[in-house]
Amino acid sequence: MTTPTPKDREGTVFDLGYRRYDGPREGRNRARMALYLDGLRIAMGIGRGGRAKILPWLFVIVAIAIGLIMALIAGAVDRFVGEGAAEAANLPSHADFYSIAGLLLFLFAAVVGPELLCPDRHNKVITLYLVRPITGIDYVAARWLAFLTIMLVVAWLPQVVLLAGLAFGAPQPGDYLIDHWENIPKFLAAGAAIAIYSTSMGLAVAAFTTRRGYASVGLVGLLIISQMAAGILGSNLTGAAAEWLSLVSLSDIPLHINELVFNTTDSLGGGQAARDLPTAVRIGAFFVVTLAAIGVLWNRYWRLSV
Amino acid sequence: MDVLLRADKLTKHYGSVVALNSATFDVTDGVTGLLGSNGAGKSTAIKLFLGLIKPTSGSMQVLGVETTHNISVRARLGYMPEHDCLPNNVAATEFLTHMAQVSGLPPAQARSRAADTLRHVGLFEERYRPIGGYSTGMKQRVKLAQALVHDPALILLDEPTAGLDPGGREEMLDLVRKTHSEFGISLMLSSHLMGDVERTCDRIIVLEDGHVVQQGAVTGFTEELETLFVEVEDRRSEFVAALQRLNVNATTEDSAVMIVGASEETYDLIARALAESEAPLRRIGPRRHALTELFTGAPAAGGAK
Repeated sequence: MTTPTPKDREGTVFDLGYRRYDGPREGRNRARMALYLDGLRIAMGIGRGGRAKILPWLFVIVAIAIGLIMALIAGAVDRFVGEGAAEAANLPSHADFYSIAGLLLFLFAAVVGPELLCPDRHNKVITLYLVRPITGIDYVAARWLAFLTIMLVVAWLPQVVLLAGLAFGAPQPGDYLIDHWENIPKFLAAGAAIAIYSTSMGLAVAAFTTRRGYASVGLVGLLIISQMAAGILGSNLTGAAAEWLSLVSLSDIPLHINELVFNTTDSLGGGQAARDLPTAVRIGAFFVVTLAAIGVLWNRYWRLSV
Repeated sequence: MDVLLRADKLTKHYGSVVALNSATFDVTDGVTGLLGSNGAGKSTAIKLFLGLIKPTSGSMQVLGVETTHNISVRARLGYMPEHDCLPNNVAATEFLTHMAQVSGLPPAQARSRAADTLRHVGLFEERYRPIGGYSTGMKQRVKLAQALVHDPALILLDEPTAGLDPGGREEMLDLVRKTHSEFGISLMLSSHLMGDVERTCDRIIVLEDGHVVQQGAVTGFTEELETLFVEVEDRRSEFVAALQRLNVNATTEDSAVMIVGASEETYDLIARALAESEAPLRRIGPRRHALTELFTGAPAAGGAK
């Protein structure tokens, strides 16, 4: 090979042509990671148009705003009524957040969750995934984890904001945190329960349709109907029958965990009678419904990959 | 020559429907055409090789791996489906980078491969626009690009020219040819059009009702099945009579005279017959085979090897 003289090089465009790829191929784990990260981006509308960002970020902002407002009210009561007045008046705090914002979290799961599964089936991009070195289960597990990550952030962040607000509103923030540290593991646990639950329910419903709208309406409808059914049955029946039947209120099931974690009795909507059931049953109901939703999801995507 | 795909008595039933019936064939380096009418079993064969469906019986090898369901081998396969399979709200470059990673490439390499691949399929200028705004031809290029982005050893294309206008079809077939000749990647494409296969493929496998009817080099097919189409202004019956005196097998069809199995010397005989019958020639040319004709008039399987 000869070295080109400067004259030869003048004005020459070098087209390297097609180059084969002989770099690393990281197989299935790289694929799973890519699907997980892509799931995060889809959920928050990153790398998509402006319209895709509006709803998820609106939900996040509203959730944080609820935590902020709760902290501000407590701070204001303390300032104008007297120190310790907020606690004395039993103002809404960590234990009440999920019964106040629970609807918002379910709506988030209903509106944003289907975004991770429905368009891929609607546009048939799923076919392109299934011919790559992954299975349908790899795909749906990565999507589930991605949405769970987002749901955890949406469930925990307002509680962190509330905690910070309460701590900075107190005369001695350090002392406040030392006195109230047990709220942190409690809201982490209660938040994780509602996040896992709503993630699994939202995606399981989305696995039955290729249209996001239908999935959103489907999940909201399921929650409303089950809560109404529990309310009606609970008010007309008494005793053990009412307790068991009021468990069908699907939106209350993660709030049972909230009540148990914070040891309170004011979180539930239509399923109050179920409160009198043994603790094991209330926890069991949470696991049964969550695992059933995951099972449905698993089954829908396992069929795809033969 | 490496055997890239091997089907051995491959059979697939959908309920009582037999989509593929004991099909045995090899796909080697180069461009292979899978030719057959709708429902002949082309898509079924492609889906079996990709592991999207399981065979009812028989076995197959993909890139030398004996498998009916192997995930890792798909890192070296590309697939371009017949139907739409692209997201609307993502830019082509984002989509390809993601797809390269799902095939196992690390993020930095995926990004540069995505840009390179889009340039090779002729979509460099438009790569930051959302795919939803692309024309059919551009989408078809993105579909090919996603099959190419991870530099596979073999790409399977299901009806790559379906739904394209004549110009788009030409471009697509050129791109297929170029993928082999310049990029060195082997391809297998399915089509129901003899013309597409003839233009792009080195080898051909003909499927009919799930059976392999024929397989061999494309040149063998065209030689063996050449049919000439002769149209005369007048005196057609005299012309046919003259041909028959010269032992040329001719049939009439509408206004034309068809001569099956034409070879070099047939042209001389036709010229003599035209002169003898004093029939004014309007046009003469090779006639493209309709698929049905290819199947019914073709010699038994393997005859064109």
